[in-house]
Amino acid sequence: MTETCARTDCEANAEGQCVRQVLVANQLGLHARPASQIAREAQAFAASITLVGQGQSVDAKSILDVLTLAAGPGSTIEIRASGDDAAMAVEKISQLFAARFGEK
Amino acid sequence: MAKAIVRGISVSTGFAIGKAVFVNRRHHAEVPRQSIAPALMDGEEARLRQAFAAVETELEAARDRIPAELSEHRHILESHLMILKDPKLCGAAARFVREVGVNAEWALEKAVAELEKAFGQLDDMYIRERLQDVRVMSDRVMARLLGTVRTELAVEGRVIIMAHDLTPADTVMLEVGKIMGFATAQGGKTSHTGIMARTLGIPALVGAGELEEAVNDGDLVIIDGVGGRVLVDPDEDELAEFNELADQFEDYQRRIYRGCQLPAETIDGYRVQVLANIELIEEVAAVLDNGGEGIGLYRTEYSYLNRTDLPGEDELADKYSDLAAIMSPRKVIFRTLDLGADKFIASFGALDEANPAMGLRAIRFCMQHPELFKTQLKAIARASAFGNVSLMFPMISGLREVRRAKAKLREAQEELRAEGKRFNPDMPVGIMIELPAAVMMASMLAEEVDFFSIGTNDLIQYSLGIDRTNAHVSYLYQPLHPAVLRSIKHVVDAAHQAGIEASLCGEVASDPFCVPILMGMQIDCISLSPQAIPGIKRIIRQARMSECKLLLRDVLACRTVGKINRLVRDTIFHKYPEELNFFASLLDNDDLGG
Repeated sequence: MTETCARTDCEANAEGQCVRQVLVANQLGLHARPASQIAREAQAFAASITLVGQGQSVDAKSILDVLTLAAGPGSTIEIRASGDDAAMAVEKISQLFAARFGEK
Repeated sequence: MAKAIVRGISVSTGFAIGKAVFVNRRHHAEVPRQSIAPALMDGEEARLRQAFAAVETELEAARDRIPAELSEHRHILESHLMILKDPKLCGAAARFVREVGVNAEWALEKAVAELEKAFGQLDDMYIRERLQDVRVMSDRVMARLLGTVRTELAVEGRVIIMAHDLTPADTVMLEVGKIMGFATAQGGKTSHTGIMARTLGIPALVGAGELEEAVNDGDLVIIDGVGGRVLVDPDEDELAEFNELADQFEDYQRRIYRGCQLPAETIDGYRVQVLANIELIEEVAAVLDNGGEGIGLYRTEYSYLNRTDLPGEDELADKYSDLAAIMSPRKVIFRTLDLGADKFIASFGALDEANPAMGLRAIRFCMQHPELFKTQLKAIARASAFGNVSLMFPMISGLREVRRAKAKLREAQEELRAEGKRFNPDMPVGIMIELPAAVMMASMLAEEVDFFSIGTNDLIQYSLGIDRTNAHVSYLYQPLHPAVLRSIKHVVDAAHQAGIEASLCGEVASDPFCVPILMGMQIDCISLSPQAIPGIKRIIRQARMSECKLLLRDVLACRTVGKINRLVRDTIFHKYPEELNFFASLLDNDDLGG
């Protein structure tokens, strides 16, 4: 997958960050396993990545931070990233949400 | 007199005398706050990061040493490593060093305190409890910083391992050959420490709350695994007494062990199947060594606990098939998930229930999570192709529930057939009889299934309406209560009338006072912890069915539990005087009055 293909699907906000809204569609919400998947994925990018939900903004690279979002099933999360590989980071992390973190 | 006596819960019987060695302690000391001059900050931050790195290396090494069959432990260590590397812990502490200009210890405390604040506000109990993992990790780093860490356990001579709590990470680092016993301040009946100790055949106590206050490193201690006590700095008389007890115990074990591979048959030729309850596949060795004729209860929860994700069908099927194949042609009875009450899957969290023992647990929980349930049913069915596998459903209350559970099983089997995976279509299916409702319905339920397994721990609790973990009413926990005995007999009779087997699992099955009565009822099969098998087999081999029947008749003629207990005690003591010194009987907490 190339940088540009992800970019087309990505909106930029006023601060020039890549942003995308995702739905917590898995049964369990952002519990430990999804949180650790997000953190692991996020750590692979240089971009700074935050997750925003219910007025709270957390560092996607921190499993502990993601856990404290305590985002339940059905809630909406905004992924924001800035930096060179921001678009790719947003794409990759959205994919985790879309795949429901591998839950069947 | 010993300097102190600390009480705990015995999870493995026996006696041990040795030197106390603490693997870890709760971190008590106030952490000193020191200001760090700007010029020294680099050094201080480096010291902090080195401590984190050292713990990380240690955990990675531990993880890599874990044998494949203990893969559950690997999950725990993986998630601990993830926390250790988390920017919110190490990164935040490093930031405090710089921004506040403080020492690494204080900065770490502050980082943990911030996390405690953030987690403390969450409604989700499961997530809130992840804080435990953060503490476990920060304690290790703190010990490094303070220089109180034991890098190498200098284990010399006979030692008794003590800890605030023993984690799998701690136990894989121990050199097991020199350990005489365990004692931990935390932990309950089902903790990892108990499984480990029983496997090693050494005594262990958990939940000994005052351990850390009462014992210092190097103290001479006695672990009394029968009485559930730690004697700190015992006097000469106590030492002599326990040395003698330890010798007798060893001698007794050697004797019962010698006959443990013989069939459990009474003098007059009545045969009882003696099976084992297990939780981990590694316990199979203990089952076979102790003369277990099969597995009467495989508790399948362990694969779901202490991890953050759910096991998949293939993972479970591999594990289950291994167990079936190793035990083949001996029987293995898989109990489907009995979660809820005191055991929760991490990914579902604990439910907010006022009365969890009567809440969404066991079969009820599974029926609410059909996908989770089907995954397990398919895995068990797949294992049935590799050995003598049976399946049973826990907490059944009536016909509809059995029929629905069986329909789920058929659905799982259909899927396997469509996927071209092998299974035994005739796998026996049974139910646990644990609820008074199931007792009353026994003759009808018997038409639906291939066997009954009476789970006495829950049956006693639900029949007598007492929570055995509640100290105010635990005196009412009476396995030989006339109502309990009548319930068990009713179920056994109903099973036999329908031509199916009745087996029994629960602590009653390993109580030498209770087993002869069960035999009088002509129970087909009992299932107990592997380590209890040799003793119980020996009791059965010395018994006569005719005497057991007489005992049952007399017992059923008694109207109070006090009378029953007295009668049983007199009879059993008369028959097996020497056996009983090393058994802690369930009858011990009764009042012999009423």
